[in-house]
Amino acid sequence: MGLEQYKGDMAMCCRCSCCKFIPLQRVEGHPYSTVCPSIARFDFHAYSGGGRLNIGTAMLDGSLEYTDKLLDIVYNCQMCGACGVSCNYAMDMQVQEPINEIRIRCVGDGKTHPALDGAIRRLRKQGSMVPASGPRGAWASGLGLKNIATARADVLLHVGCLTSYDKSRHALARAAAKILRKGGVDFAIAGDDEACCGGRAYQMGYERDFLRQARKNMAMIKKAGVRTVVTACADGYQAFKVLYDKYGLKKDLEVLHITEYIDRLLQSGELRLRRSVDLAVTYHDPCRLGRLGEPWIHWEGKKMPGDRFVFDPPREYRRGTFGVYEPPRNVLRSIPGLRLSEMTRIKEYAWCCGAGGGVLESNPEFALWTARERMEEAASTGAAAIVTACPWCEKIFRHAAASSGCGLEVYDIVELVARAL
Amino acid sequence: MALSREIYSAFEDVVGREHISDDPAMMPAYHQVQFAAIVLPENTAEVQAVVRLCNRYTLPFQAVCTGWTGAFPKDILYIDLRRMNRIVEINEKGMYAVVEPYVITAQLQAELFRRGLHMNLKGAGSNCAAMLRGHGHLDQTTSGDDRNHLAIEWVTPAGDIVRSGAAGSTGAWFCGDGPGPSLRSILTSAVPPGVTPGVFTRAAIKLYHWPGPVQFPIQGVSPKYTLRQVPPNFMARYYSFPSVEKMWRAEIKLGENEIAFELMGFNVSMVASNITTSNEEDEKVFQQMQGEVQGPGFFVILAGNSAADFAYKKKVLDQIIRENDGRSLKSVEDPEVEGILLCQCIRVTASIRETFRAGGAFSSIPVMGQRDLTIRWAVGAGRAKEPLIAKGLIVDDGGAFFGWGVEQGHLGKTEIFCKFDPANPKAKEAVERWQKEQSERAFVERYFAMTMGPQDAVGPALANYHLWWRKVTEAIDPNHVSPEAGALV
Repeated sequence: MGLEQYKGDMAMCCRCSCCKFIPLQRVEGHPYSTVCPSIARFDFHAYSGGGRLNIGTAMLDGSLEYTDKLLDIVYNCQMCGACGVSCNYAMDMQVQEPINEIRIRCVGDGKTHPALDGAIRRLRKQGSMVPASGPRGAWASGLGLKNIATARADVLLHVGCLTSYDKSRHALARAAAKILRKGGVDFAIAGDDEACCGGRAYQMGYERDFLRQARKNMAMIKKAGVRTVVTACADGYQAFKVLYDKYGLKKDLEVLHITEYIDRLLQSGELRLRRSVDLAVTYHDPCRLGRLGEPWIHWEGKKMPGDRFVFDPPREYRRGTFGVYEPPRNVLRSIPGLRLSEMTRIKEYAWCCGAGGGVLESNPEFALWTARERMEEAASTGAAAIVTACPWCEKIFRHAAASSGCGLEVYDIVELVARAL
Repeated sequence: MALSREIYSAFEDVVGREHISDDPAMMPAYHQVQFAAIVLPENTAEVQAVVRLCNRYTLPFQAVCTGWTGAFPKDILYIDLRRMNRIVEINEKGMYAVVEPYVITAQLQAELFRRGLHMNLKGAGSNCAAMLRGHGHLDQTTSGDDRNHLAIEWVTPAGDIVRSGAAGSTGAWFCGDGPGPSLRSILTSAVPPGVTPGVFTRAAIKLYHWPGPVQFPIQGVSPKYTLRQVPPNFMARYYSFPSVEKMWRAEIKLGENEIAFELMGFNVSMVASNITTSNEEDEKVFQQMQGEVQGPGFFVILAGNSAADFAYKKKVLDQIIRENDGRSLKSVEDPEVEGILLCQCIRVTASIRETFRAGGAFSSIPVMGQRDLTIRWAVGAGRAKEPLIAKGLIVDDGGAFFGWGVEQGHLGKTEIFCKFDPANPKAKEAVERWQKEQSERAFVERYFAMTMGPQDAVGPALANYHLWWRKVTEAIDPNHVSPEAGALV
């Protein structure tokens, strides 16, 4: 069905501009009241969530031809879902899904971005969203971890492409493994056989490539008898938990982000954090762990005839309500000595880090601009460090910190937990 | 029709290459109209330069703030004021704020709360431009913007910059009428046809004392935000009455006693929309509330400046309600529901739930005037909705109208609307017919004259204002480049 299934939703857009701002009740002043990086950076309404829906409608009725500007609009979006949350505070309509479908349609029509094509070529050739050098499982060298190819385990730790192939991030993967081990978890890794989750390919609009990766992963998981996948990456989390489910591939697999698992271990007393970490931090909610990490809702039905936009059976909307917001905060609050303060834009209406939706690859300047905005907001809390729970956020924040000279330290949450063990 | 390269370049020189476009990909997002180009000026000087170019090339233009609504002819220049989004000044001592067109109400109001101040809000919602001229939930105490706009900066259709009132002589913004030129009769937009040509680039807004917290204690995750607690000395209630007359008498008494911070003549359909998070839930809660109310009603917010002030206001309120046989809607007494309504109706954050969520569109007849007269008209307009509801062409809201007191009831606003599915041509046609008939009835039966109605028919009944207005517009727009402005909308 593609974009066509959202025709009615797109027609519901009343151009109120709520998609440009955080939910209005949450506006605390003029600074940090906007929510969409794309419209904030490019200003023309076409770059907003509502503008994109208008474009989708025009694509369907055949009144719009591809131009360079159209592709500029389509690809300068982190697909972060913030517009949908703000819209769905008041409206019953799908927002993020049609925006995804617009991208998928562009890719299907061969209207791609050269940088994204390059990333997908790499995925097809090397099985990774980042340049692959050396064995994927090198980060685990010397740890003596179980590998699901040779040993059985209920839990699979999936670390993701960026952490696997960027040597500076190996410490993160090792820290995640150390924490699980300390918590007495019987887990394994896939090592060199770990495959890209496909989530970033989906964000870029390459649905087929995403599905190839998803099927590959689920076949491996099924074969190994894994019941739970723990990801140390928000993109991976959303892919396994939400996107695999959307396409009917997840079945009864339990998917947890490492912060959820750590929170669980802390709550049950299987993990204790004893060492003090004397640091004032603020927490950044990764989009794909937060608002886009809420479970997929399977629904099939039709619009009821009549005056209202209602369906039989009733349609539920993913409004960002059930994202993973508290577990990472619980974990941070459990670290002795650590002081957590909040930014203005948090949880379901958090500002995106800038690295998603292929923007890091297609328009690095825009990705960095978005990250700098976030760093400025983080600094406004008085914190000395920004903590996140996704390597892609961490990567762009480090870049932003270095290039802006803001002086904020950047951490992944597992680093701090490992320090407190 | 596309602009020639020469003309396009002239505009590009003013706003910069990044801030002009005539690409077809832009147009669906701009009201599905093929504009000659869209420009995004950054300041008044750029607006002036753009307008002067429009005069030079005889290119009509229209400017918008957030651009929520509007009707636009094709081939004109669309001036999107989005980049003009600065709060220029909040003058706490003088109690006014100066803003540019793209500052939204939610932003300015939040800044004001921190300073113990607040402002008039437009019923359309706090997603609208703060300098939008209009009326809304707080009119009972703040009046509408006919009173609240102070000095205004206006780029005339000919491209001159005019600053009205104090800004025209002293550079300060505290007064719209002097010392300096008062252009109230032209700039108020209260005079039909209601929209002054040109572009409004800055406006000063009158501020009021805010007795509430610097920030509402909101908890929860969207779309269900609640208050941790109702702020001290605040209360929200909905009262229904056995008859329209009794409701109106209670309204008048509330105004005479000056005790209501907000008096909003919501019908229960609007209460249900505000407190529910989906269409299905809305329908269910509305049906339930319909069974709870005894007739028409209103929503009241009390805001005390002290515990004693609050206690006094509550006592007076209780007496007025009692004397007019009013009854409090129990479900609003639930502190969670009370908190939701209190916050939403002061911040006006959920108007979209009341209007667009149900079917995707609504059509409204809003009128200013004496409440007893306008209510009488609205009762008839409500009855005229019933056949449309019975046929399933519009959303069932009980045929209700709504309204509110302005300036403690000295004036009032009454409004009635139909919510419908714009994709259904029968519904659209029926609603248009209803709107036309009810507007005509209002004029013929001498309730009021629809300012948006046919000018040549309405004008003679109102001192031929339309002839004067045409002369004024001819004088200020000699090249006819600004057929309709709307920068305050």
